[in-house]
Amino acid sequence: MLQRYLQPDVLAGISGLELVAKTVVDGFLSGLHRSPTFGFSQEFAEYRAYYPGDDLRHVDWNVFARSEKMYLKRYKGETNCQTTFMLDASASMQYGSGPVTKIAYAKYLVAALAYMAVGQRDATGLCVFDDDVRGWVQPSTRQGQLHRILNTLDKATPGKRTSFEKPFVHVREFLHRRGLLVIVSDLWENPETIVKVMEPMRHHGNEVVVFHLLDEQELRPKFKDPVLLEDMESGDTMEVTPQYAATEYKDKITSHCDDMASKLRGAGLDYTLVDTSRPLDEALRGYLAARKGRM
Amino acid sequence: MGFLSPWFLGGLLAVGLPLWIHLLRQHKTIPQLFSSLMFFEKRTQSSVKHRRLRYIALLLMRMAMILLLVLMFANPFYKRTLKAGEGTQAVVIVVDRSFSMRAGDRFQKAKDGAMSMISGLAPGRTARVLALGGSVEALSQATTDKGEMGAAVQSIQAGDARGSYGELIKTLKSLMANGPMEVHFFTDLQRTAMPPAFNDLRMPDNSKLVLHAVGEEQAPNFVVESAIAPRHIYDTKKARVHAIIAGYGTPAAKKTVSLVLNGKTLATKTVDVPANGRASAEFLGVEAPYGFSRGEIQIDGGDSLKADDRFTFAVERGDPKKALLIHDGRQARAALYIRAAIDASAEASYQIEVMTADSAANVSLSKYAWVLLADVAAPPASLEKALNDYVKNGGGVLLSMGPGSAARQRTLLADDPIDGSRYAAREGDLFQTAGEIDTGHPALRRAGKFEGVKFYQSVRVRPEKSRVLAKMADQSALLLERKIGEGHVLTFTSSLDNVANDFPLHASFVPFIEQSANYLAGLDEQAGTILVGSFVELRSDKSQTAAAEVTGPDGKRLLSLQESTSAPNFKVKDEGFYELKRPNGKQELIAVHADRRESNLERIPADAAVLWQKTGQGNETPAGASDPDSAAREEKRPLWPYLLLVLLIVALVESVFANRYLAGDPDDIKRRTEPKAA
Repeated sequence: MLQRYLQPDVLAGISGLELVAKTVVDGFLSGLHRSPTFGFSQEFAEYRAYYPGDDLRHVDWNVFARSEKMYLKRYKGETNCQTTFMLDASASMQYGSGPVTKIAYAKYLVAALAYMAVGQRDATGLCVFDDDVRGWVQPSTRQGQLHRILNTLDKATPGKRTSFEKPFVHVREFLHRRGLLVIVSDLWENPETIVKVMEPMRHHGNEVVVFHLLDEQELRPKFKDPVLLEDMESGDTMEVTPQYAATEYKDKITSHCDDMASKLRGAGLDYTLVDTSRPLDEALRGYLAARKGRM
Repeated sequence: MGFLSPWFLGGLLAVGLPLWIHLLRQHKTIPQLFSSLMFFEKRTQSSVKHRRLRYIALLLMRMAMILLLVLMFANPFYKRTLKAGEGTQAVVIVVDRSFSMRAGDRFQKAKDGAMSMISGLAPGRTARVLALGGSVEALSQATTDKGEMGAAVQSIQAGDARGSYGELIKTLKSLMANGPMEVHFFTDLQRTAMPPAFNDLRMPDNSKLVLHAVGEEQAPNFVVESAIAPRHIYDTKKARVHAIIAGYGTPAAKKTVSLVLNGKTLATKTVDVPANGRASAEFLGVEAPYGFSRGEIQIDGGDSLKADDRFTFAVERGDPKKALLIHDGRQARAALYIRAAIDASAEASYQIEVMTADSAANVSLSKYAWVLLADVAAPPASLEKALNDYVKNGGGVLLSMGPGSAARQRTLLADDPIDGSRYAAREGDLFQTAGEIDTGHPALRRAGKFEGVKFYQSVRVRPEKSRVLAKMADQSALLLERKIGEGHVLTFTSSLDNVANDFPLHASFVPFIEQSANYLAGLDEQAGTILVGSFVELRSDKSQTAAAEVTGPDGKRLLSLQESTSAPNFKVKDEGFYELKRPNGKQELIAVHADRRESNLERIPADAAVLWQKTGQGNETPAGASDPDSAAREEKRPLWPYLLLVLLIVALVESVFANRYLAGDPDDIKRRTEPKAA
């Protein structure tokens, strides 16, 4: 029953990102019936024989008492991970054929993930960008971090054109320890350029998760009549026929998404395509499934 | 097929208007925002071109609407040949019963012709009967019953009213709404019954007129055209009756003219009437008994229309009535001039009593026909109240305002504000003259323009409650009238004593005093002789609920019980004497005579009659030779109702198309007008 609260149009009727995030996460978790400790909690994985030099704190002394052999206890997850969210607030994110625009959907998504991350006591940060950094919250575990993130999210308004280079350089300067980097964008750029910009983030030992947000009309455009389209970022106009949009454009955008997925995954980045007309939990579930596979 | 108003086809030029608008209209395509045009390519098919193509249907419908509208105005018709008995025109039988039909046996011939017409109608043919007198009367509904038609014709009586062919055509046009008709008109085709414009004789379309003329082409006729007799006789020796005898189509002849009063011939004269001309006869001295008398001017007969050989008039003989002149002791001179004027008058005779305001306060005013207040500035309160009551009960008061009245704030009785007095010296040009005068008012009808009268002093009265009848040259009021209750108050803003002006020395003084006196005494309310068809006023105030009585020439009461208590007037329909008793108790005798234009029996020219018959359907059937059932006829059927229906359908379809084409993409409108989710 709570599933319906995760519909984008329902979330659009909820004021306040904190409430949205809480609604999303609680609804999502109650539907998942799974522990939220996806790698961040201590979970037993295996025993390994002790070798000189190993940290004695990990020795299972109960086993040693019974067998007088020293074994080390190993765990699956890491705790206190640093999670940084990067939200694309370019003009194209303002688009939305339904009741919820891409930027609104992205805010819900980031808010929900931040809510979960803060709940895990992760150091959580946020970077809002278009062609430059428009909002920055230093990753931290301090009290009130969630409110700072949500407040920055709330103030984020679509700005100019997208440019990934400058914001990513900025974020890279503040990432001193390896962690999780979550990028939410519509990625209107060549896959090669995207990979070129994001791949260095991976080299620093970070896990990079990319949410590719696209509107249903962008994925499967339906025009009754020939229309004059205006680019929201460049302002260019172009007359488009319904036939072209239904055939060639659809092929091109599908090819673009496939290309983007293969190239990003090939570079070790996690890629998830999100249709903003779909419920938010589908994106979360897809993301967690992908994360689980990698852990 | 043809058009009844083909000149409207010029409106077809307007068909190009939607074409022009559609071709030159700038199609503004609203750009639709999209996140990125990265994967879009330009295609040759233009949305604007596409939209223009779709607008062609709309364009054609709009052009069709204008075309249909123009065609409707052009009033197209198609001709349909009717066989005998199919789509029959209703027959309308009209019998002329105007005064001229009394000549000879015209009326009887007209009725006989109508009866034979009815008997010749095919069985089942619908007809109705009308009579033309002072108005057109429908004597039967459309019926196939010949007996009913015959009874309607037989019930028609010769009348005294003047017939008008224009009125007949108006009635026929209103009947035309029931369908095509064939009119058979039995008349003497009198020329004077024609309307001023021949176009007013035009028969309704799709109708047929057959004229059945009765009587001779030109019947010579002598007539007493008019008789002028005094309404009131006070001195029988001074009374005069003046008559005019006319001949229409007559040779020169000697006619004997008699003055008859109450059936007794008082005097006889012989006049020579020239050929087709007029002569006058005057009788001096009318020995009328006291009360109302019925007078007649008669000529010896010899022509076919005997009803116009007499002209009736009514006179009333009485003793001179009393009138009261009130002055304040300084204005006694006015009595001299008033008396002289009354004595010089032929139609007014009053005994003037003169007294001061103090004396008049103890006198009953009801016995006086009218009262003159000669510059009475401050009458006793009892006199002022008595005057007010006197006027409210129907009395008349004439106020003359000398220098004494200028001291008052408001005028007596009329209660208009006084703005002071204007004085001038007798020397030089420093005097006022009369300006605009309402010569239609009974008190000023024959007083002229007060030519040459010099006013040296006058009181400036602001007409607040009164009506201005005459003005000075400087637009200040000279004579005012106020109606109070049943009576009248005339206020003359100067005096009548040859001091403040020299009015009494001028010729206009006598008729002014005479008519004012008669007006205030209520003696001119009704003329002694009126025309048939005129209305006689019974009560001026609807609140008067006392009964009025009217007795007709035949001695019967003409008003029902309800009419006698509420009717404001009544119409006289026949010649003769009418006795009238007004709600205020006054009795009158009124003589009614026929319009003398009916006495000219000349016919309309034959070519005009033929032309008249052609105005309807253009049927050239000669008069009297018509057989409405024998031949097949053509009927014009209008097409405009069908065009209107098509126009309505096209308009509805156009609305649907226009809504669909021009409303725009609803999704796009919604996206642009609704606020974005944050």
